[in-house]
Amino acid sequence: MRLCENEQQKRRDEGGTGRNRKMRIPRVKEPNRRKSTIFFLFAAVLFLAAVTVAGILLEGRAAETDFTRTNLAPGPGCLFGTDWMGRDMFARTLAGLSLSIRIGILTAAVSAVIALLAGTAAAVLGRKADAVISWCIDLVMGIPHILLVMLISIACGRGFTGVVAGVALSHWCSLARVIRGEVIQLCQAPYILVAEKLGASKLQNVRRHMIPHLLPQFLTGLILLFPHAILHEASVTFLGFGLSSEQPAIGVILSESMQYLTTGRWWLALFPGISLALTVLLFAILGERLRLLLDPASIHE
Amino acid sequence: MGKMKKKMNKSMKRAASILLSAALALGLLAGCQSGGVSEGQSAGNVDSTGNSGMDSDSVIIAMDPNSEPEAGFDPAYGWGAGEHVHEPLIQSTLTVTNTDLTIGYDLATDYNVSEDGMTWTVTIRDDVSFTDGEPLTAEDVAFTYNTVKETSSVNDLTMLDYAEAQNDTTVIFHMTRPFSIWAYTMAIVGIIPEHAYDSATYGSDPVGSGRYILKQWDRGQQVILEANPDYYGEAPRMQQVTILFMEEDAAFLAAQAGQVDVAYTSATYSDQEMEGYSLAAYESVDNRGFNLPAVSESTNGEGKAVGNDFTSDVLARRAINIGVDRQEMIDNVLNGYGSPAYSVCDQLPWYNETSEVEYDPEGAAALLDQAGWTMGEDSVREKDGVKAELNLLYSTGDSVRQALTADFAAQMEELGISCTLEGVGWDTAYDRALSDPLLWGWGAHTPMELYNIYHTIEGTDSAEYSPYSNPAVDEYMDQALASSSLEESYELWKLAQWDGTTGVTQEGDIPWVWLVNIDHLYWVRDGLQVADQKIHPHGHGWSLVNNVDQWSWS
Repeated sequence: MRLCENEQQKRRDEGGTGRNRKMRIPRVKEPNRRKSTIFFLFAAVLFLAAVTVAGILLEGRAAETDFTRTNLAPGPGCLFGTDWMGRDMFARTLAGLSLSIRIGILTAAVSAVIALLAGTAAAVLGRKADAVISWCIDLVMGIPHILLVMLISIACGRGFTGVVAGVALSHWCSLARVIRGEVIQLCQAPYILVAEKLGASKLQNVRRHMIPHLLPQFLTGLILLFPHAILHEASVTFLGFGLSSEQPAIGVILSESMQYLTTGRWWLALFPGISLALTVLLFAILGERLRLLLDPASIHE
Repeated sequence: MGKMKKKMNKSMKRAASILLSAALALGLLAGCQSGGVSEGQSAGNVDSTGNSGMDSDSVIIAMDPNSEPEAGFDPAYGWGAGEHVHEPLIQSTLTVTNTDLTIGYDLATDYNVSEDGMTWTVTIRDDVSFTDGEPLTAEDVAFTYNTVKETSSVNDLTMLDYAEAQNDTTVIFHMTRPFSIWAYTMAIVGIIPEHAYDSATYGSDPVGSGRYILKQWDRGQQVILEANPDYYGEAPRMQQVTILFMEEDAAFLAAQAGQVDVAYTSATYSDQEMEGYSLAAYESVDNRGFNLPAVSESTNGEGKAVGNDFTSDVLARRAINIGVDRQEMIDNVLNGYGSPAYSVCDQLPWYNETSEVEYDPEGAAALLDQAGWTMGEDSVREKDGVKAELNLLYSTGDSVRQALTADFAAQMEELGISCTLEGVGWDTAYDRALSDPLLWGWGAHTPMELYNIYHTIEGTDSAEYSPYSNPAVDEYMDQALASSSLEESYELWKLAQWDGTTGVTQEGDIPWVWLVNIDHLYWVRDGLQVADQKIHPHGHGWSLVNNVDQWSWS
């Protein structure tokens, strides 16, 4: 309401000075979404990077056992408490998040590259290739993710390799589908056909017309892969088919905490669980904001 | 504006969906928890229809789900035998192990062995019937042993050639090699009826002559045993025994809710208080120890890594053995519920007391110095460019083993031995243990375990689980198996551990370092008199109910 009044006021003022002036929505009243988004992106990336680095630095401390301070409730000395071997849960949580983020980056990157290659190949290599790749996409999408991750992880000998292979090989399908659709559509787009007729080389076309279109889709897809990758890594580890139990992974922490819940040690699960949820959320929002920023349709908002 | 709002909604929706899925993941964890509990509750309800736990002649016991015999109650498929030996309850055995682990009689009235150890003659009672009314004869005994040998699932009967019945009450065992401790094998083979045995159905519908009859078995949930009214021995005092299979936390909650009379538990819960229950700790030979590969690193014919450059040094192994503070480990990890272990068979009749060592960190450091492992600047010892390093393996998911390994690692670091920990699954652990120390759990009511761990496998130059070989030790164990009396064999088993010059103890080769024997802990309802237990073997399960027929309520 207030904005409206102001605006009316302004119009009246403007009306007095000159009718030809273009009407403008004053900047102060409407915060710049673009700027705030960039700011948010920056802060989020900084925060996640800080967590990742802190986690790497704290890895030694996370594994350190100290039987003189077992089962401490959260307090000033140990923010998140300690577990049954006297390990600092704060260090473990950070190290776990860090590990999750790094695995997330790795798997999301691999997945996204697979998706890019598969999607483009399906779109440009003709009908047969399209049929084969689309069939593969349907096949992988048809199996529940967690099951597929478990199977691949076991086949690859569990541990770090198993989890990375499992998550990377099961998360590429939806992005591949999006890219395939996008490329097919682009190839038929009038301005690209025109460019071809005008003699632009294939490479030129790809560079100047296709990539700017595909990149936002790809980047957003990449970042939106993170939350899934991280959650699936944690779940499959929780179920015992992923990372080995000496590693400070969130899945390991949560599964270990289970047997202590009945004796009232709530902090073992609560803080790592919340941290995982927050990290995943942050990635999700990050991806969404980035899409708003890069998507041509909403780029001016 | 409208469009933007829509976008924002969409992004919030997505964020919310991610949050929800994260919450779901957490919920899943909680779900496992409550699932276990409700299982316990429903199982508890079944019992409350028939009898509550306070009836004077029935008892409800919560056991580990791993204790449920997969192949049923069929001695031919491992019931009673194997890694976690216990009395078969439903079937009778020829002999039994007494509380001091010497041999007593069940079905047998007498046994003797020929001079060369190749023929065992056992006479049995003539007044025993199976629960279907048919008498139990020597034919059934011979049939049982021949069947168990044939199935050869869990119970190792390779030393038996065949069994035959001489008459109704005499059975003769023809051996392939002398086996002086045959009486210990006879204590775990339940006798099955020849006339009523079908390997497909016997496991779930067993007919035996033991103290109890299997009344009901709900797979994955519970087993109900009922006293055998025609039992030939002293009539069981507990008329009904219900065993619920539940995870440790569910067992804890079931006891808290008063649904069970006895619930297994571990050191994790031992600091808790429970009204109406007390914590009972039973001594065990359920030991934990590391194997220390006694040869240098190489690759064997199958391409597996074998041996370890640090533990191949006998002085290093001796240093580890005296450099580990077992009592600290028990206090830290087991909350005090355990005893120091110095061998795989502490306190059993074949245990050699010279295995015991004093904790001596200075002595350990001196041994390492003497061996040339000198302290480097990074407080890690090294010798000729080789670092004193151990990659300690433990079975993943076992929190007690993990904690023991962590504590051991911390103690070794103080000696200047750098340690890393690694959790492994049993699918790979056996191969990995050939080159890295693995935390094992052993402890059985037979000296055969010494043989399994220390004896060189025929045709190779190494024992089975960890590279090690000593002809003198092998010789004593071979003699022990060939000896004509149990007493004589006990002495030879002791000599195999240490004969004054060589053996597997501190002054000998010390190819395994034994750390602790873990007390088996149970929540026991006040008023329940659990009969005296014989020292529990490895496995936190059926051993407890070996003498459930003698339990009573006061």
